[in-house]
Amino acid sequence: MTGSALIIAAVFVAGFVGIAIYDIATSRRRKEKYRFGTVATAYLMLIPALVLAFLFVLLPILYSLGYAFTDYNLLKPNNIKYVGFDQFKKVFEEIGEKGTLYHALINTLVFVVGVVPLQIGLALLLALFVNKPLKGSKIFKVCFFAPVVISLSVTSFLWLQILSPSESGLLNSLLGIFGAEPHDWLRDPATAMPCIIVLSAWQGCGYQMLIFLSGLTNIRQELYEAASLDGAGAWRKFTLVTWPGLRSTFIYIIITVFIGACRILTQPMLMTGYQNHTVTLSYYMYQQGYSYRHVGYSSAVALLMTIVIGTVTLIQRRAFREKN
Amino acid sequence: MKRIFNFLLVLTLACVMALCSVACDNGGTNDTDAGEVDTATGNTIVKIMFHVDEKSTEGQAYKKRIEAFNTAYKDRKIKASATYKARTVGAAGYETELLNNQVEGTLADIVTFDAPNTAAYADSELLYDITSLIPQDVQNDFYSLNTYKGKLYGLPIQESSAGFFYNKKIFRELGIDVSAYTVDNPWTFDQFKDVCGRLKNAGVTPVDMRIDATKDETATYLLYPFIYAAGGEFTSPDGYTATGYFNSAATADGFGFIKSLIDAGYTSYKIGVTDFFDGRVGMYLSSGWTIPDLDNKYKAVFASREDWGLLPYPKSVNAASATGSWSFGITNNHHSDKSAAKELLLWLTSAESSEAITTATGMIPARKAVNTDYEAGSPEYTLLKQLETSGRQRPVTVAYPTFSTCFNQVIAALGTGNVMELLNTQASTLQREMDNLKG
Repeated sequence: MTGSALIIAAVFVAGFVGIAIYDIATSRRRKEKYRFGTVATAYLMLIPALVLAFLFVLLPILYSLGYAFTDYNLLKPNNIKYVGFDQFKKVFEEIGEKGTLYHALINTLVFVVGVVPLQIGLALLLALFVNKPLKGSKIFKVCFFAPVVISLSVTSFLWLQILSPSESGLLNSLLGIFGAEPHDWLRDPATAMPCIIVLSAWQGCGYQMLIFLSGLTNIRQELYEAASLDGAGAWRKFTLVTWPGLRSTFIYIIITVFIGACRILTQPMLMTGYQNHTVTLSYYMYQQGYSYRHVGYSSAVALLMTIVIGTVTLIQRRAFREKN
Repeated sequence: MKRIFNFLLVLTLACVMALCSVACDNGGTNDTDAGEVDTATGNTIVKIMFHVDEKSTEGQAYKKRIEAFNTAYKDRKIKASATYKARTVGAAGYETELLNNQVEGTLADIVTFDAPNTAAYADSELLYDITSLIPQDVQNDFYSLNTYKGKLYGLPIQESSAGFFYNKKIFRELGIDVSAYTVDNPWTFDQFKDVCGRLKNAGVTPVDMRIDATKDETATYLLYPFIYAAGGEFTSPDGYTATGYFNSAATADGFGFIKSLIDAGYTSYKIGVTDFFDGRVGMYLSSGWTIPDLDNKYKAVFASREDWGLLPYPKSVNAASATGSWSFGITNNHHSDKSAAKELLLWLTSAESSEAITTATGMIPARKAVNTDYEAGSPEYTLLKQLETSGRQRPVTVAYPTFSTCFNQVIAALGTGNVMELLNTQASTLQREMDNLKG
C-alpha cells in the first residue's frame, strides 16, 4: 500500500512540477509583466494546500476508485484480486432485488428532499429574523448557531431522550398531557425518517443562517428605501429586493446542503441502528466496508454515489446559472 | 531570486528532517521473529491490545495482571506492552482499530476479540492456530474454547451467561412463587407466559426482554437462546447455509414466541432502560454484568439480595442459554516465533488471572480450576450451572456480522411484521452474504 501511495505521489509531484515549469517558462516567453520569481513563488505557496489535497482528497479517491474493481476484504489485505465490473454488477443486482441498498437509496432521497428545503427555509427565516435591529438579536444569533458547534453525536443522544418511546420520554409525556398514547417515533417507519429530518435541519440551519446573514448585509439599504418610496410592502420587498440579492448565496447554500444531506450517516447510526427504514447510502457503505469488511463492494457504491452527487450538483449549477 | 532560493533551502531541510524522523522512529528496538527486542534491556516485547478503557475496572484488572507478568518474567527477558482501545457503539471502535492494524501490518502479538468473530478472524488468518501451543490439560480446563474447523484460535477471558433478574418484592406481593424454576428444572415457555400474565393483570409491566437493544450485539446475545430452545437453528453446521435454517419452522417458532410476548403486551420496545431498576418492571433479561449494579446501585428498590433474584432461560423443545464473551488470541503478525506470546497468553488465561479479572467484572471465570464456591441458588450459581448444562454459543460463521444485523432486523420488526416473511427476507440476505464469502 505504501509503495502504491509513493508511486501516485511521484506521478502527482511530477505532474505538478511539469505544469509549474511549463507555466514559468511560457510566462517568460510571453514576456508577461509577472516576473519569473513571482510565478515561482506562487507555485511554492500552493505546495501546502496541494499536499493536504493530495493526502486527504486525491489519494482516498484514487484508492477507492481502484478498490471498486477488486474483491478487497478488510480481513484479507494481502489477498486482493481484480474482479473487473463484478462489484458494480452486484450493486445493481442489490438494487434490482430491492435489498438494503434499495432502501438506502430511497431513504437518502427522502432525506434529501425533506431536509434541503426545510433546513434552507429555516436558515433563511432565522437570518431574516436576527437581521432586524432588535434588542437581544445577538443572543438569538448565538442560540440559533449553538447546535452547529455541538457534536452530532451529542445532539443525536439529546434527541433520543426527546423521542424516547417510553411514557417518560419528553415528547411522549408532552403529548400525554393531551391524552395521546406514547409513540415509538424512531421504530415506526412512518415517523423515523421525518424525525431525523427535523433533527438534522435543526442542527444544521444555524450555519446556513450565518451565510444568509452575510448575504443580507451585502444588499444595499437604498434598494429597500427606493422600494418603500414605490409603495412596496414587506412581501414585495422580499421578492423584488431581498431574494434577488441573495441568489448567489442561495446557490452556494443549496449545493452545500444537498451534498451534506447525501452524506448523512451519524443520525441514523446513533438513533435507530441499521434498519431498513432509516439506512442511508453512507451508512450502507460504512456497514459494508467496515462491519462486513467488503471494501471492494463498498468502494463501488461510493464511486457510483460520487458520480450521482456530482451530476446532480452540476445540473443544479447549470439550472441556476441559466436562470441568472 | 535569493528569497526563492532561501525558501527552497528551508523546504529541502524540512523534508530531510521529516525523512530522518521517520527513519529514526524505530530507534531503541530491534524487530525479531519472536517480537521486538528492547536494545537497552534485551527484553523481548510482546504487544497486546485490549478492548476496554485502561481506567475502567476491567482495564485496571488487566493492567495489574500485565504488571505481575512483567515482574514474573523479568529474568526470562520477556516484557508485555499493553494498549487499550475502548469499545464505542457496540464493539465498532475496537474492531475498526483491529482491522486497520491488520491492513497496516501492525497487529499486536495478542489481541482480544469477541467470541462470534472467531470464524471470520480464523478464516482470514488474522488469528494464529494455537491448537498445538496450548497443552491439552489447559484446554480441558475451559468451559468453552474458540474453535473453527476443529482448530483452536482463542482462549476466553471470562464466561458470560444471562437470565431473568426479577423483583422479589413484586413477586411476593402478588403471590407468584417461582422457587421451583431452577436450572435443573427450568420453566417452560408456557409457565413463563403464565407468570407474565399474572404480572400484567396486576398492572405491572411483566418483562424487559431488551428487544429495543437492536443497535448493537445486545439483543442478539440475549435473545438467540429462545430460538435454540424452540428447536431452531440459524445456519448449517459449516456456517455457509442460512436458507432452510434461519427461516425453518422451528426457528419461526422461537421468534414467534418472542412476538407472542410483544403481542400480549408482556414486553415492549417502549420499556425505559431503568424501569426495572426503578421497580416498575417485574423481570429483566440481562447478563452477569447486572449483578454488581443490583448489589451496589439502586439501593432504594433493591436494598439487598432478598429483593431480587435470577431465573434461568425458559425451555421449550430444548433448554438453551446464552454464552460467549471476549477472548485472547495470538495473531498471525510478522513475528513467526510465538513462544513469548504463548507465555503471555497462558499467563492471562491462568486460573489466577481468571479469578482476578472476574472478581473485578463480576462475570463467570473461564477456567474450571477457579474455586467459585458460589452459594447454591445464588445468581452466580444459577449462571454458572446454566452455562454448564444448557450454554450454547451463537452460530459459528464467517458471515457473523451479517447474521447479527439480520437477527436485529427481525427483532426490530417483530412487533408489526409477519414472522415468516421477516425470516425469509433476512435468510435471503444472509445466504447472499454467505455465498459471497464462500466465493
